[in-house]
Amino acid sequence: MEIIQIVGIGLMSTVLILVLKEQKPMFAFLLAAATGILIFLFLIGRIGGVISTLQRLAESSGMETVYLKTVFKIIGIAYIAEFGAQIVRDAGQESIASKIELAGKVLIMTLAVPIIGIIIETVMKLLPA
Amino acid sequence: MSWLGGWLREIILIVLLATFVELLLPSKSMERYARLVLSLLILLTLLGPIVSLLKGSAASELSLALSRSDGGTSGQTGTAAAELQKILADGRRLAAGSRDQSLKLAAQQIAGQMRDQIAAETGKHGANVNVTLALTNEADATWAPAITQVVVTLPGEAGAAQGNAPGGPGSGGSTPIMVQPVEDIKVKLGEGENRPKEQDASAGRADLAVSGTDEGGGSGGADAQAVTALLEKNWSLDPGKIKVVGGGTDKL
Repeated sequence: MEIIQIVGIGLMSTVLILVLKEQKPMFAFLLAAATGILIFLFLIGRIGGVISTLQRLAESSGMETVYLKTVFKIIGIAYIAEFGAQIVRDAGQESIASKIELAGKVLIMTLAVPIIGIIIETVMKLLPA
Repeated sequence: MSWLGGWLREIILIVLLATFVELLLPSKSMERYARLVLSLLILLTLLGPIVSLLKGSAASELSLALSRSDGGTSGQTGTAAAELQKILADGRRLAAGSRDQSLKLAAQQIAGQMRDQIAAETGKHGANVNVTLALTNEADATWAPAITQVVVTLPGEAGAAQGNAPGGPGSGGSTPIMVQPVEDIKVKLGEGENRPKEQDASAGRADLAVSGTDEGGGSGGADAQAVTALLEKNWSLDPGKIKVVGGGTDKL
């Protein structure tokens, strides 16, 4: 039961952070970041399993891999941006966190540009000149 | 109708995947953006047959466009792409060079084997065999070397040993100078009446030599034919690709 381990790590680090925050706020932040990274590493294997299962299913059903790649990119960008923003938010830097989120949004939007381009070109070819 | 089934299956899968991804998204702030991309993907899948009709495969178009957009975002991608092209060009040139070298080596080995076969079958030692190889289906990945021409130069010594006149159209500039052997002349004094007989005899020998030349020419032609037949049979070659020069052929 990994969830018990994860919750246990979270509770312990929260107590430690609360104690340390009064004396050494810098170490409290480092502890929070380290806990976040540890939990993320716990979950990486599971995320990899989900992704490989989806990939296998898509390949077996004959779906184009480029669509799947795009979807995975969206998930990856969203998770990484969210994770980074939360760590920065923990350090009290709300503005930086919002910038990281903005970067995530822009990168997701960038994925849309080629698709929009193809769709618009197709529609323009369909329209009479 | 199979394409219709595939198309419907792809649409259903994309919609399912999009729903799943929306559930997976970590925060609501990203949701609108992710939903936009996912809905565009669904739209592209719906338009897939039309895109394929107008521009080729929709998936390959998207892959190309995505790679192009990835290239545009990174800073040094232009130079990296140029370097990659240069490396690829170098690789192609090196591959072509090594292919030419291997073709030359293969041609030499084939020529050696042909020479041995000619020596074994016809007894003509020292024949000069020149094989030209070329690649067939070079555009495809299934290219294979093929013999385009075989030039066999038979040695001229065999003909010379039979008393043939040197030189010929195929022998080029390296015609050996043949010296007729000095015949024994027996001089007997007081037997002048026998002199014409001697001359007749020497004339007869000359006739014999001439007929020998003809025979030599005939055997040379036979040799050329034998060599051609041998190469045709052993190497499955088109007779038009085999050229036999020198030896008896130049006297034909």
